[in-house]
Amino acid sequence: MVSGGASGEGLTGREARVAAEIRRIAREDLGLEAAAPAGAPLASALDSLALLSLVVAVEDRFRVALSDEAAAGARSLEDLARLVAARAAPEAFP
Amino acid sequence: MTPNPSILAVGRALPPNAVDQETLIAALSAYWGARHYNVERLAELHRAVKVGVRHLALPLAEYPALDSFQRCNDAFLRVGADLGEAAVRDALDRAGLAPRDVGHLYFVTVTGVSTPSLDARLANRLGLAPGVKRTPIFGLGCQAGASGIARASDALRAFPGQVAVALSVELCSLTLQRDDASVTNVIATGLFGDGAAAAVLAGGERPAAPGAPRVLATRSVFYPDTEWVMGWDVVDTGFKVVLSAKVPQVIEANIGRDVDAFLAEHGLDRAAIRHWIAHTGGPKVLEAFRRGLGLPEAALARSWASLRDVGNLSSASVLFVLADLLDSGEPRPGDLGLLAAMGPGFSAELVLLRW
Repeated sequence: MVSGGASGEGLTGREARVAAEIRRIAREDLGLEAAAPAGAPLASALDSLALLSLVVAVEDRFRVALSDEAAAGARSLEDLARLVAARAAPEAFP
Repeated sequence: MTPNPSILAVGRALPPNAVDQETLIAALSAYWGARHYNVERLAELHRAVKVGVRHLALPLAEYPALDSFQRCNDAFLRVGADLGEAAVRDALDRAGLAPRDVGHLYFVTVTGVSTPSLDARLANRLGLAPGVKRTPIFGLGCQAGASGIARASDALRAFPGQVAVALSVELCSLTLQRDDASVTNVIATGLFGDGAAAAVLAGGERPAAPGAPRVLATRSVFYPDTEWVMGWDVVDTGFKVVLSAKVPQVIEANIGRDVDAFLAEHGLDRAAIRHWIAHTGGPKVLEAFRRGLGLPEAALARSWASLRDVGNLSSASVLFVLADLLDSGEPRPGDLGLLAAMGPGFSAELVLLRW
């Protein structure tokens, strides 16, 4: 299954669900409307504090510890979703 | 024409509870661990702010009991009076003056409140003259050390035979919002420390002291529609920090232009400034200040050292850096210096000095 829109291309169903949850966290929990546009490069959509807040919130939600290198390498929200999906335990999934 | 006011001396006071950053990280991890999965990421934030040691208002073991705004503010008044008194006495001793010589007291803080303000308590403790003109200033944040010097020098232009003290007392650790686990609060918790500093200024008609810089001019710069950049949200538990990631950007975008315009009014340019006395906002703020002014790395070495040794002391920081410069004996007669600090508003205060 592939989620709709260009941004979701190449995401598995699991990854797409994680991406949707990250988008929800950004919008509802952190008030980061700018993170929501699909496929937007995170570094241009969010300032450094906002990006860090998103990474911390995602780590908390999915109970994963992302290395600085891995987190910095996530160019888009979909990249971040792939990273989380590969590491998170099944019970942490939405 | 009456000569310009001069800065006779700067006194400092730090609380005795020096705690290194790793010890603080270990203590705070207990709080973070209950809220965040990857505590190590938060610990790294505390290491990234380049602070080595903070001097805390209270022993570390006493912080868990500070569970209300009232308890925090009570501690501010108790410790703040001790530190404020020590800083003023240190400054007056260095200037060879007595408390009764003080005609104006500018007291700045953003970390505690009271009425009467802390300066009234100090007037009693120090034995200031009954005619002392007290001006408590709350809310200028990190900028207030520079503003205190600026407003004190303004007053001394009207009263050139008098003495003014600009006192900053900032106990940032007492504003810690332990239940705010946001990244912004974690960064603030890693960066800000406690301390007090006092500058003694003399009007131009008073005898000149050797090695004392004169305040040639001051400049306030207000940046319209930037109230969101930094400040406090006042909540039931006290002061909750507002700190935008845009702070360095605002500084870098404006500081060069504002300094140039200020200096140009006095027929000067950046190259004429030998001593840069910059508020130790943090690594990103210092870098933004340096880049905005096109300065070499070494130009802000004292600010970096102060950040490492005591952390960001809010309004007291720029006075600590000035005190370090005065102690160094480095300035020579004729040298020019620019003291600068920025704070909530968003705004900046610039003070032009000549030795």
